[in-house]
Amino acid sequence: MSYLELESVAKSYGAIEAVRNFNLSVEKGEFVSLLGPSGCGKTTTLRMIAGFEQPDHGLVRLAGEDITAVPPHQRGMGMVFQAYALFPNMTAWGNVAFGLRVSKSSQEVIEGRTEELLELVGLQDAGGKYPAELSGGQQQRVALARALAIEPKVLLLDEPLSALDAVVRVSLRQEIRRIQTQLGITTVYVTHDQEEALSISDRVVVMRQAEIEQIGTPIEIYTSPRTHFVATFIGTTTQFKGLLEDRTNGCVRFEDQRITVSPDLPSEFQNGDRVVVFVRPEAIEVARPGENVEGENQLTARLEAVTLLGPVIRLSLKHGEFGLLADVNTNERSRFNRGEEVLISFPAEACRVLKEDES
Amino acid sequence: MKQRNLLGPASIVLFLVYMFLPILATYVFSIAVRWDRSILPEGLTLDWYRTAFQDRWFLIVFRHSITISAASVLVSTLLVVPTAYWVHLRLPRARPLLNLITTLPFAIPAVVLALGLIKLYGQGPLQLARTPPMLVLAYVIFTLPFMYRPVASSLEAIDIRRLTEASQSLGASWVRTLVEVIFPNILPGILSGGLLVFATIFGEFTLATLLVGARYKTFPMQLVYYTRRDGRIASAYSVISFTVAWATSLIILWITTWGTRRSSGRRSPVGRAGGGAPAGGKA
Repeated sequence: MSYLELESVAKSYGAIEAVRNFNLSVEKGEFVSLLGPSGCGKTTTLRMIAGFEQPDHGLVRLAGEDITAVPPHQRGMGMVFQAYALFPNMTAWGNVAFGLRVSKSSQEVIEGRTEELLELVGLQDAGGKYPAELSGGQQQRVALARALAIEPKVLLLDEPLSALDAVVRVSLRQEIRRIQTQLGITTVYVTHDQEEALSISDRVVVMRQAEIEQIGTPIEIYTSPRTHFVATFIGTTTQFKGLLEDRTNGCVRFEDQRITVSPDLPSEFQNGDRVVVFVRPEAIEVARPGENVEGENQLTARLEAVTLLGPVIRLSLKHGEFGLLADVNTNERSRFNRGEEVLISFPAEACRVLKEDES
Repeated sequence: MKQRNLLGPASIVLFLVYMFLPILATYVFSIAVRWDRSILPEGLTLDWYRTAFQDRWFLIVFRHSITISAASVLVSTLLVVPTAYWVHLRLPRARPLLNLITTLPFAIPAVVLALGLIKLYGQGPLQLARTPPMLVLAYVIFTLPFMYRPVASSLEAIDIRRLTEASQSLGASWVRTLVEVIFPNILPGILSGGLLVFATIFGEFTLATLLVGARYKTFPMQLVYYTRRDGRIASAYSVISFTVAWATSLIILWITTWGTRRSSGRRSPVGRAGGGAPAGGKA
């Protein structure tokens, strides 16, 4: 039995279904992210775990106990909000100590623990400051310390980094992960930022339109998307739409070409199915004509545009009217010029095949 | 062209004269020996204040007015703050209705309100008619707009929903959240609302006369009594009443600026020992 369980949870607001048949088990100490576009129901799910929303259906269980009807202030779940939600009338110290005062801890415990947590988030010197005197990143650290002070059974974070600028966002997310690992605290993290979810989670729950699309480790989600939505929502892909010619040998007909994919596709596929072959840009190799290339699949293409992304450059290519994307190392940029004909190749194992009819 | 340039300043002067001449005249009248048969007063004196203060009724009516005003502020706060909080948090769609209800007292003449209340509470189990508690309740209705507006704006200025949820997730109950988190953050609104209510009630005559009359004499009743006997003592009373009202206004102004200063974060940091305490009075 898992530590935190959601069983067939559903929630509607009037005619709008926010969450439908949601099932999730979170192990003790696990870091799980709910990832999806806005309005997919991830925040509603988190709020049902926190007790701020009541599910219309289903159960929320914590350590085997049904807590669906328990009011939020008795659940012992620490929550961090997007807009910090620090108490403006209290100092950073007062904010962190609030939960401990509410639980009637002794003065000694309050002081010791508050001190300890401010130190944990690196704000031991800012205890006397009011929220309005702190930067966004500092405020969110205080909010994190405040939520952790009560030694919550589960830590809930609702897009905690969305209001911060890019540099702070990256450093703070690493810090959240470090603290989470250090304390071994069960964590549910809501975000619409795939990079955030992939980089810090043990498992990711991808949601769309009130439903779970896929649950998996970050690498599973990235390399083996189970649905069309996950394949396109996470990262960038080129989609070859074609006809499955040979399921056993892994052969897909794409325009006038054949694409070799991994053999022995699952039995849900049948020869003649319309399928989509997804290929990540980093799996596509680009060579100048005449150069030797590896990889089962080879196509000629014309280089349309070159975009610098930082460590890699993204090449926009055209094979006839069909557009492809490929990433190559930035230090190879001088090899490629716009308008040139190039040879692209990708191996069979880089192809992810999904049926086309899935919306 | 020249005439045009004079129009602006002239209108301002006219406005100031219109506003302040009666007040100024009242002040001068209250310290004039006599000022009814000459252009300028015939000498100055503090006798009328002395008479006013020595009147055995002075302290009684002053105390009565302070008591009634303070009690109304208290009842109004206890009634309006939780209601406004709950409506803003849980029934945002009821806000326009509440806005309307809290503006209604403006539309009801005091006489109508008083007669209606006497008629309603004159019989039945609640024998409240013509008692000071009745007056307090009437005043709470009468001054509802003054209390509700500032409190509502304060509530709208902070994210009460998130603050409430944050507080709850840390284990705090509704009452604790209201007292320790919401209340301190809307305190400037409550204080300015309360002082407006106080100042309004302190000088109110109609409702007081109609609802309790001579059984519980208030400051304005005594003032009116003196206008029939000696206008100079009445002027002294007016000046005292003005002073109370102006002092309250100054406090309102000071609180409002303090509130803005605090939210922009220029408040000096308080030591960690005070960190957990509500902000009341830490200016």
